[in-house]
Parts: sequence; C-alpha cells; structure tokens
Amino acid sequence: MGMSSGGGGGGLQSEINVTPMVDIMLVLLIIFMVVTPFLQQGITVPIPRDLRNPDEDQAINKETSVIVSVVCRPPDAPQCTPEMTEYYLGKKKVNLDDLKAQVEKSLANKKEEDKIVYVKSGVNVNYGEVVKVINAVREKGVDKIGLVADKKKGGGAAKT
Amino acid sequence: MAMGSVKGGDRAVPYINVTPLIDVLLVLLIIFMVVTPLKPSRFKADIPTQRDPNEDLSKLKPNPLTLVVTISQDLQLKLNQDSMGSVNDPSALAQKLQTTFQLRKDQHAYKVGMETATNIPEDQRIEKTVFVKAPRALKYGDVVKVIDAIKGAGASPVGLQVDDLP
Repeated sequence: MGMSSGGGGGGLQSEINVTPMVDIMLVLLIIFMVVTPFLQQGITVPIPRDLRNPDEDQAINKETSVIVSVVCRPPDAPQCTPEMTEYYLGKKKVNLDDLKAQVEKSLANKKEEDKIVYVKSGVNVNYGEVVKVINAVREKGVDKIGLVADKKKGGGAAKT
Repeated sequence: MAMGSVKGGDRAVPYINVTPLIDVLLVLLIIFMVVTPLKPSRFKADIPTQRDPNEDLSKLKPNPLTLVVTISQDLQLKLNQDSMGSVNDPSALAQKLQTTFQLRKDQHAYKVGMETATNIPEDQRIEKTVFVKAPRALKYGDVVKVIDAIKGAGASPVGLQVDDLP
C-alpha cells in the first residue's frame, strides 16, 4: 500500500494485500493437520525407552483407545512403594475399583478384536502394580494388553 | 510477465519467485523432522481371562511345547528350568529361544489346532508362545527389557502370568 500511494500516477490502490496472511494461515492449517494425530492420549509417563522390538501402533494415539497409566509420585523416586503409585485412565486419576467400572464402560461398544487396553507404566513402578491393573481389566473380559514402550530411534528391529 | 512484454522495450526476464515455496517446504520439513520420532509403539501381551472357579483344572493337559521365562528377584533369568543369564544381558535367552524356534520349524511343531491350517503361513503356525513370570516386587522396566528380548527372538504371542506370583 505504501508503495502504490507513494509512487502513484495511477489511481490509489485501496485493497488489502491478503497473500501473506493466506500463506501463514495455510501453513498453520498444515501444521495442525500434521500434528493432530500425534497428540498423545493420557498423561506423560517415563515409559521404557530405547527398546528394539516393539511394534508401532498408531491406535495408541487415537481418542477412543483405552489407556491406563501407572506412575510413581514423585516420578523420580528411587523406590516406588505401592502407596506412591497412582493410576490414571486417560487423563483422569482413578483408583483400582473405579478403573474396573470405567474400563468396562469405555470398552462396551467396541468390537471384540479391538478390545485392547494400553498400559503406560513408568519404569520405576513395581511390576506388582502393573499386575494389579491387569487383574482389574481381565475381569472385564479383556485378554489383550499393549505395553506402551518407546522404540529406539534408527535401530531397526531384529528380523526373525 | 505479460505486463513486461506489452510495455517493455527492454527484454522481459521471466522468472518464478520460488522464495515463498521454499519457505513453506522448509517449514514442512521441520515439522516432519520433529514429529517422526514420536511414533508410538507397544508390546502386545496376552493375559489370561478371568478363571471360572467351577472349572475342572485337572482335565487340562500341559502343553509340552510351553516356554516359560521366569525372572527371579535377583534379576536372574530362567527358561523353563534352565538358567539363562540375567536381565541386563538377555542375549543368552534370546539365542536359546531363537534356536528353539528354528528347531521347531524344522520339526514342524505346530500350535494346537493349526496342524492342518495350510492357508496360514508356516511361520505363524509354529508354536512360539512364551510366558513371562516375574515377582511383584520387580521394577516394571526390567520386565519390559526381558519382553523386548523375547520379542526380538521372534516369540509371538507373549503371555504374562498374573496368578500366583511371588
């Protein structure tokens, strides 16, 4: 605008130049389109890192998947007693009894083969706490769980 | 460009302004670089369904091909009855499992009920089930390390024992 009014022998141009705005909007749109499927479900947990052989599963980040997180408070405690362990279903803190009821509810209208509960557990949590979660969900007819783990970057899985 | 050719005595130099294009492409490149390592992954594990208390367990026959990896409290590993190194170095266990699966492939040791299912690939019919048994006081991270090694040896499915744990 400044240029045309300054230089003007021609008529004054009074249109707003929307091109840069549209550029930015398009880039933002693309960013959100790309990022949305990667937004994590549930809370942040120090899951096991740098493992070689877990299978990738995009369903973990789906909004409909059932994710039970088991964490220690405080997260960096060297020894995690059962009293320090907290359970979360999605982003909500629950105790074991509520967990049963709510897992059942969230799995109610899923197909039989999709009935999988993802367990995100911190590395320092006692295995017994994970077993408690497993015991809770198995009562609701679930026989498949997914132990969420982080795959080592660049390290190809061992072929068998 | 059209403007230039109409007006100009000077020769028009037509060129495409690629700067915004490159801008956008660079932004996309950075987005993908940031996002790619975040691919979620998991170990699938089977757990026993709730036991029917009235079920007669004496009728169940133990499967001779069953493989159970036991982790002891001092982080030692056992495959069935044989000692197999420790959690921090599960290579002996992985090796043994791999040779076991290879042997079963050579001997055509199929899963129960899959002996005649020729429509399924040979590899999936071999009995490769491995159960993991770990004490409750163990750290979850150590158990997952062992599952990683077992999975790397080709076991599928991996089952977690949850009853009668020490």
